[in-house]
Amino acid sequence: MSRKLIIDPVSKIEGHGKVVVMMDDNNQVTDAKLHVVEFRGFEKFIQGHPYWEAPMLLQRICGICFVSHHLCGAKALDDMVGVGYSTGTPMLPTPEKVRRLAHYAQQLQSHVTAYFYCIVPDMLFGMDAAPQQRNVVGLVEADPELVKRVVALRKWGQEGIKSVLGKRMHGINSIPGGVNQNLSQEARDRLVNGEDGLISLDQVIDYAQDGLKVFKDFHDKNRAEVDAFAEVPALNMCLVDEKGNVDYYHGKMRIIDKDKNIIEELDYHDYLDYFSEATEEWSYMKFPFLKAHGREAGSVRVGPLARVNVTKSYDDSCPLAKAALEEFHDYTKGKANDMTLHTNWARAIEILHSAEQMKVLLNDPDLQKEDLILTPVDNAWTGEGVGVVEAPRGTLLHHYRANKEGNITFANLVVATTQNNTVMNRTVRSVADSYLGGKEQAEITEGLMNAIEVGIRAYDPCLSCATHAMGQMPLVVKVLGADGKMIDEKYRCAS
Amino acid sequence: MRIVAEKLDVILADYNNSSSLIYGIGNIGRQDDGLGWAFIDWLEEQSICPKAELMRHYQLHLEDADLISYKKQVLFVDATKVPEVESFLLEKIEPKMDFSFSSHAISIPSIMATCRQCFEKVPEVQLLTIKGYEWELQLGLTEKAKQNLKAAIDFFKQNH
Repeated sequence: MSRKLIIDPVSKIEGHGKVVVMMDDNNQVTDAKLHVVEFRGFEKFIQGHPYWEAPMLLQRICGICFVSHHLCGAKALDDMVGVGYSTGTPMLPTPEKVRRLAHYAQQLQSHVTAYFYCIVPDMLFGMDAAPQQRNVVGLVEADPELVKRVVALRKWGQEGIKSVLGKRMHGINSIPGGVNQNLSQEARDRLVNGEDGLISLDQVIDYAQDGLKVFKDFHDKNRAEVDAFAEVPALNMCLVDEKGNVDYYHGKMRIIDKDKNIIEELDYHDYLDYFSEATEEWSYMKFPFLKAHGREAGSVRVGPLARVNVTKSYDDSCPLAKAALEEFHDYTKGKANDMTLHTNWARAIEILHSAEQMKVLLNDPDLQKEDLILTPVDNAWTGEGVGVVEAPRGTLLHHYRANKEGNITFANLVVATTQNNTVMNRTVRSVADSYLGGKEQAEITEGLMNAIEVGIRAYDPCLSCATHAMGQMPLVVKVLGADGKMIDEKYRCAS
Repeated sequence: MRIVAEKLDVILADYNNSSSLIYGIGNIGRQDDGLGWAFIDWLEEQSICPKAELMRHYQLHLEDADLISYKKQVLFVDATKVPEVESFLLEKIEPKMDFSFSSHAISIPSIMATCRQCFEKVPEVQLLTIKGYEWELQLGLTEKAKQNLKAAIDFFKQNH
């Protein structure tokens, strides 16, 4: 009798999802699905609001990557008022650098959260440890010194965000055509030198290196398990600069294959010509894919692993991250890396890269200059804009249209977690194959539940972003027969 | 009506110093979830405890353990749905690692326990919870929540 296994909801991710694994009469996994059962709403309720409210309101989709949503919306607004990239107008140096600084600060903070709060406990305590231990609170008891460093890193990242956006969450700085304030010399000095209760930039870089070492130590001890865990093929996509290396704020969308051949490269304003979104009745989250390559072959991976796969090298101004990236590339001998848990390696490299990029910016006097905004010429209003940034979790797109009164009539958000939907489903399938495939008794074990969660968590998915809702995170596992009858069921609460 | 717990020793004047923190937790975009911030609004409007650090945030984060490590006393103010609280409740909180962590939120006892574990000190902490009723996506407190806020404020006025 074929069976269905359900994990509902998946824990330690942002939002609420469940997992269903289908098995046939021969105990082989036939399918695996990550269901996203939250309801999507922000694209609708923004309609009718004045266009300039979009970056302020839509950032409230998320309490984690709000800066990405804010900047993505701001770039779309630049287009709408006629001073954006779509018009070929380069942004003034100071506002672009101020925006980038906030973006890198958020990437650092967000990656630190995902990496140390959710992933490092899995590494230090083991995938089979009790969920009550496998979290940062368990880490507090086991290694308070490490937690102090994590707290210090997050705090520094938050201060970076607050210094630019005015608030530690959901601040407002970007406005159409620029920003409303620069970074003061005092704030700059504070971030660079630290002060009582705030670490210095050099300490941030040191701690980021410590974070990378945590992964490498874990990898050295568990190489076979880490490498074999859910190696799933996918195209890789990120924004790239003119050299073909990741640019977290702006660039072309580049997609590469396993051999790192460029199979598509596009101006993101043309995304609708290249991408389509499939829907499934069992999930509110869509499945984007490259039209020219089809639903399965054209699905892309985004986020840290994709970015380090696409990027050839980091700039010389970021020497520590550059060396770490070279080591990463050497590991797969120049091929794209499809090993899911290496996403955590990539994330640790990006924490270091963010810190080094901030060091470059914080030493740039443009941040204190006063030329903050481009004023559009008469009749420059286009009424339509697209913004794309590399959010911590991957490529994020906002697309708005407004009527002549300036009220939003259309909004489309394609978030990183949505882009990763297909590859996350492949990951779940791979894990299920490893644990259940060919076994007579397809039992839901803690190990299986943990492994599926670890696989999904590598993407640091934000199901709240993807469906634009808030969620809860306990865990339920069910096994159903093909006739829909319950065979087995297990619950796990988050608290 | 149960309005306060055993500990009634919070006098706001005692918080009027730089080693005190009054921290409103909530979200004004979610109706009565804005009660914590509304209490902070009242303090600011009335210029009560101007020397204390006043803060509003959506939820607690791990780094709040670092924040409170610099303080001698902290008053958290939050909305509650707990049926036992009819109007408001003021209670002393003790450190306890309760493993309630998610990347979106962490409990006050866990923050305190983290503070003690990492920084080897912990402030006196009191929690004021004010009863709310509606948590939908909407600005503004319900009338009943406003009454409970007023009751809490009156209590502190009497003890001010």
